[in-house]
Amino acid sequence: MSGRARLALCAAVATLCAAGALLPLVEPIDWMIQAAFLLAVVTGAGAAARRAPLAGPLVIGVQALVAVLLMTLFFAPGEAILGLLPGPDALAEFGRLLHAGVRDVGRYAIPAPVTPGIRLLLIAGVLLIGLLVDALAVTYRSAAPAGLPLLALYSVAAGLSQGGAGRLRFLVAAAGYLLLLLAEGRDRLSQWGRVFGGPGRPERTRGFAVGGPTPAPVRTGRRIGALVLGIAVVVPALLPSLGGGLFGGSASGGGPGSGGGTISAVNPLVSLQDSLNQPEDKEVLNYRTTAADSRDMYLRIVALDQFDGTTWKPSERTVTDVPEQLPRPPGLSSSVDVNHVNTSISTAEWYAQNWLPLPYPASKVDISGRWRFEPQGRTLVGDRGQNTHGLQYQVESLQLRPTSRQLAAAPAPPAKLLREYTKVPDSLPPVVGSTARRVTHGAPTAYAKAVKLQDWFALNGGFTYNTEVRAGSGSEAIARFLRQKEGFCVHFSFSMAAMARTLGIPARVAVGFTPGTKQPDGTTSVGLKDAHAWPELYFQGVGWTRFEPTPSRGSIPDYAYPDTSAPAEPGNPAPEPSQSAAPSDGGPSADPSCGPDEQRRGSGSACVTLPAESGARPPGGGTSPWAIAGIVPAALLVLLLPAVPLLWRLRTRSRRLAATGADGDLTAGTLAAWRELLDTAWDFGILPDESLTPRKAAARIISIGELQPEPAAAAHRVAAAVEQVLYAPQPQPVSDLATDVQQVRAGLQAGAPRALRLRARLAPRSAARLGRAWSARWTALLLRCRTSRPVALTRRTVTVLRPGRRRA
Amino acid sequence: MTTYDERASLSDLTTTAERVRRAVEGVIEGKPEVVRLALTVLLAEGHLLIEDVPGVGKTMLAKALARSVDCSVRRIQFTPDLLPSDITGVSIFDQQQRDFEFKPGAIFSQIVIGDEINRASPKTQSALLESMEEHQVTMDGQTYELPSPFMVIATQNPVEMEGTYPLPEAQRDRFMARVSIGYPSPAAELQMLEVHGGASPLDDLQPVAHAHEIVKLTEAVREVHVAETVRRYTVDLVAATRSHPELRLGASPRATLHLLRAAKAGAALLGREYALPDDVQSLAVPVLTHRLLPTAQAQLNRRTAEQIVREILQRVPVPDPSVQPWRTPGQRPPGVRGL
Repeated sequence: MSGRARLALCAAVATLCAAGALLPLVEPIDWMIQAAFLLAVVTGAGAAARRAPLAGPLVIGVQALVAVLLMTLFFAPGEAILGLLPGPDALAEFGRLLHAGVRDVGRYAIPAPVTPGIRLLLIAGVLLIGLLVDALAVTYRSAAPAGLPLLALYSVAAGLSQGGAGRLRFLVAAAGYLLLLLAEGRDRLSQWGRVFGGPGRPERTRGFAVGGPTPAPVRTGRRIGALVLGIAVVVPALLPSLGGGLFGGSASGGGPGSGGGTISAVNPLVSLQDSLNQPEDKEVLNYRTTAADSRDMYLRIVALDQFDGTTWKPSERTVTDVPEQLPRPPGLSSSVDVNHVNTSISTAEWYAQNWLPLPYPASKVDISGRWRFEPQGRTLVGDRGQNTHGLQYQVESLQLRPTSRQLAAAPAPPAKLLREYTKVPDSLPPVVGSTARRVTHGAPTAYAKAVKLQDWFALNGGFTYNTEVRAGSGSEAIARFLRQKEGFCVHFSFSMAAMARTLGIPARVAVGFTPGTKQPDGTTSVGLKDAHAWPELYFQGVGWTRFEPTPSRGSIPDYAYPDTSAPAEPGNPAPEPSQSAAPSDGGPSADPSCGPDEQRRGSGSACVTLPAESGARPPGGGTSPWAIAGIVPAALLVLLLPAVPLLWRLRTRSRRLAATGADGDLTAGTLAAWRELLDTAWDFGILPDESLTPRKAAARIISIGELQPEPAAAAHRVAAAVEQVLYAPQPQPVSDLATDVQQVRAGLQAGAPRALRLRARLAPRSAARLGRAWSARWTALLLRCRTSRPVALTRRTVTVLRPGRRRA
Repeated sequence: MTTYDERASLSDLTTTAERVRRAVEGVIEGKPEVVRLALTVLLAEGHLLIEDVPGVGKTMLAKALARSVDCSVRRIQFTPDLLPSDITGVSIFDQQQRDFEFKPGAIFSQIVIGDEINRASPKTQSALLESMEEHQVTMDGQTYELPSPFMVIATQNPVEMEGTYPLPEAQRDRFMARVSIGYPSPAAELQMLEVHGGASPLDDLQPVAHAHEIVKLTEAVREVHVAETVRRYTVDLVAATRSHPELRLGASPRATLHLLRAAKAGAALLGREYALPDDVQSLAVPVLTHRLLPTAQAQLNRRTAEQIVREILQRVPVPDPSVQPWRTPGQRPPGVRGL
C-alpha cells in the first residue's frame, strides 16, 4: 500500500475512532455502520482524486461533492433529481430533517432514539470531520493539526454523555489519532529512502499499518504512543485531586481508602448544579415506597451545617464504610412514634453527582458501589468517582411522627451539639437576631419559636416566592432578604436556619428533593424542578426535624402544626393551619394537601435556578464560588487567547508612539518609532531584514508595500531620523515621527488587499516578537538554573562520586 | 566634534571633489561609480588597484586622476626586467664629492601610476611595500620621506596571465580598493568615438585642484564621525570573512582600517559629517574582495570573492541598539576594542 493510501485509511479510522465516543449518546448504534460506509466512500473518492492527480482544493471539492451526493442518496432519495442529484426539494428535505434533528436532540434524554433527524446530524457530522481530517492529514500532509477536528468531535461527544466518556472510548479515540500520526511519520520517513533500523529483530507483518520489517523510529514511535496513552489514563486516576479526572465523572469529595478519611469541603452543589442546569424538567429519579403518606418523602442529598454568614456548606467530616444497619438517628428517643418504610429508588442514567438521595432518617441502605457513610449528616457519599448515575437501591427508613407535645417538651440538647450547631459568625448582621427575637416574641419553648419562625416565613410574614429575586452578595444577603421579603427556597431555608441558630436552636440546612409526582403505575417520579432546600432543627428526643418555611413549596409537616391539645399560650394564639391562611401575596397556597406537583406548577420556575447576581450561594442552585473562581478566569483566558497578539500589538504601538513625544528621550523615541515602522511593515507581510541599514530597510518597505509618494517620504523621514540618532555626532531632533509612522501605516493599508489588512489588524505577524521574547527569557532562565551554585555543586559531586571517573 | 571651520572644509571638500570628478569623467565616460571610488580612495589616503581586461581605460583613469590634481606624477611601466632600484632610487658614488648620493626613483612623486604591475618580478613588486604602507623609502640605512599626498594607482590585467607574477597577498593588502572598469555602455562608447576621434581628451585636461588642497581634504575626511555601531558593524563584516567556510584567507585588520577610512571618505564625498553602515556596505566589495582567497572548493563551484562578500553583507546584521542593549551608542560591548 502506498504511503498516501495508508495515510488516507488511517485518517478514516481515526475519525471513526473519535466518533466512537458518540456511541453512548444514541441507541441503537446501527448508524455507525452507515457512517463508516459513507466515510469509506468519501475517503476512496479522495484517494482516487489524488491519484488523478488533482490539486488539493479540487480533491476536497470532489470529496465534498461525493459526500453531498451520498447524503442525498441516503436521506432524500425521493426528492432528489434522478434519485441522486440534490435539487431544491432535496435541500428543503435536508432543512426539515436538520430542524427535526435539532428539535429531537433537545427533546430526548441520553441515550436518544435514532430519529431520521438525529441520524442525519450524526452522519453528517462524522462525514464533515472525516473530510476535514482527510484534507488536513492526507491532502495537505499535516497530520498533527488533524487532531483538532478529531478533538472537537470527541469533546462534543464526551461533553454530552454525562460523566464523560469512558476510559475505553478515550483510549480508542486517542489511539486513532496516534495511528494517524504514526502513518504520517512513516510516510515522511520513507521519503528518505530505506530507513536504517539498527539491529532490531525483523517483525512479522501485522495489520495494515505495517508493511515489512518495522524501522526502529516507527517502533520507538509506537512505544512512545503507548506509553503516553498509558500515562494519560493512569495518572489522573492516581492523582487524588483530580478524583478520577476525565473518567471518573464529577469530582468526588470522598477520601480514598477504607475505614477512615474525611469529606472535603467541596460544595456538593457544584455537581448538583451541573446536573440541574438542564433546560427542562427531566426525571432525576423514580421510587416506589411503602409509606402511607408520601408527603413526607423528602429525599435528602446532603446536610449543610457550616454557616459563614454568606453561605451554608457541609463541614469536613470523617466518613466510614456503610454499615449493615445504620446507627440510630441522634437524639431520637423510643417514645416517638415511628413507621418503618421501605423504598426502592432508581436514578436516571444522566443524573451524576456524589451524594445519594435518601429519605431521612434511613436505617438501612442496600446499594452496591463505592459508597461511604457520613454519620453526622447521615448521608452517603460516593468515593473515587462513584456517583449516582443509573443506580438501583433499596432504603429502609423511619418516618418519624413526633407530636407537638413531644417537641414542645424537648429538653435542652447536649452541650457539644448545641455549641456546634448554634454557631453564627460575627459578621451576621444584628437585624437577623433581632428579627428572630421579635417574630418569636412570647414563644415559651424552642419548638414554639421554630413554628413561629416557619409560619412567619411561610404564612404570615408577607414573604413572596420569587426566583427572579436579586439577593445581592455578602453577609448582608440575609438582611436584605428579610427586608425585601422576596426569595426562593434557598433564601427561606438559609434564613430560617440562621435565625434559629441566633435563638439557640441547633439548625442546619438540608438539600435534596421534595417528594415528587405520583405516577399511574404506583411509582413516584422526581424531576429536576423538585430540587429543594429546607431547614432541619434539632430537638432532643426527636432528633433532626424538618421544617418548611418556603411558601408554596413542599409541605409543612404535621408536627409543625401545634398540637390542638397543646396548652395555648396566653395572648399568643397558636398559628392557624395553613388551610385557612391565605398567603399574603395571593399566590399559590402552601396547602399541605395540595400535591407537590400542583404546587410546583404554581411556583413557576425551579427552586434551584439562582439569579446570577446572588452572592448568597444558596444550595439547590448556586454555583460554588470555587467553580466560578475557576471557570470564569479560564473562560476569559480561552476567549482572550486568540486576541493576545492583537492586544499586545495595540499596547506596543501606543507605547512606542507615545515614546516619540517631544518630552521623551530623543534616541529612545526615534528608535521606538523606527521599530514600530518595521513592525507595521511586518504586519503587512514585509519581514524585517536585520542586515539592512535604516535607509535600505525603508526603501524596501516602500518598494514591497508599493507606497505612494507621501507615505514613502514619511518612511524616508523616519529612516533619516534613525540615522541621525544612531550615527550622527549631534542628532537633529525630528518632529512628529508618530504622524509619519501612522502615515506609512495608512499607506501600507491602502496598498494591501482586504485579507492582508484584516490579518494585519487581527493577527499581526510582528506579535512573533512576543514569542521570541518569552523564548529568550526561558533560555536565560534555564542558563541561570544550569549555572546556579546548587546545580554546579551537584554536578561536581556526581562527577566525583562516579566510579568510572575515579578509575580514569 | 565638528567645528564651524571643519564644516566649511567639508563643503570645500565636496566642491573640490566635484571639480575633480567632472574633470575625470570628461575622460572616462559612463563610469561615474568608478570615478567616485577612485576619488574616495584618494581622499582616504589609500592606493587604488585597477584590474580589468586591456583597452577599457585603466591607464586612462589613472592618468586622468593624476592630471586633474596639480601635483607631481610619475608613471612606471612594470616590465619583467624592472629592478627595485628603478622604483625606489639608487645611491651613486659622486666622484667629486667622494660620497654616495641618493638618486630618488620613480616612487618619489605624489601620484605614482604603476602600469601592468603584475608584469614585474616579485622582487620589484616588493619594493613598493614599504613606500605604500609607511610613505617612506629606506635605502642604505637612510630613510627618505615621500611627499604628501601619496597615492599609488596600479593597473593589472587579469586575463593575459602569461609571463606575469600575481601580486603577493602582502602587496594586495596594501591597496585600499580594487576596481574593475568594465566595458562602457553602447551610448558611452559612441560618445567616446566622437570625443576621442580628434585629440586625446587627456591632453586637454587641466588640473582642477592643488595638492595641498587634497591634503586639507584628507584631513577633513579624518574628522568624519564614526559611531560605535558603525565601527562594530565594520568589525563584524571583516570578522565574517575570516570564519567563512568558502574562504581560505579572510581580510586582515588592515582591511578593517581601510574599510572604515574608505567609508569616512565616502560619507564626506556625499557631504555628510558622519559615516553610515550604508557607506561601509557600498565600499565593502571593492575594499575587501582583492584580499580574500576562496578555497579550492569554492573556486571549483565558480564562486567569486565578490559573491561571497555580497552574501556576507546580506547575512551580517546591522547592529541595532534598540534590540541589543549593550550596543547602545557610547557603551562599548565587552571585549571589543574601539578602532
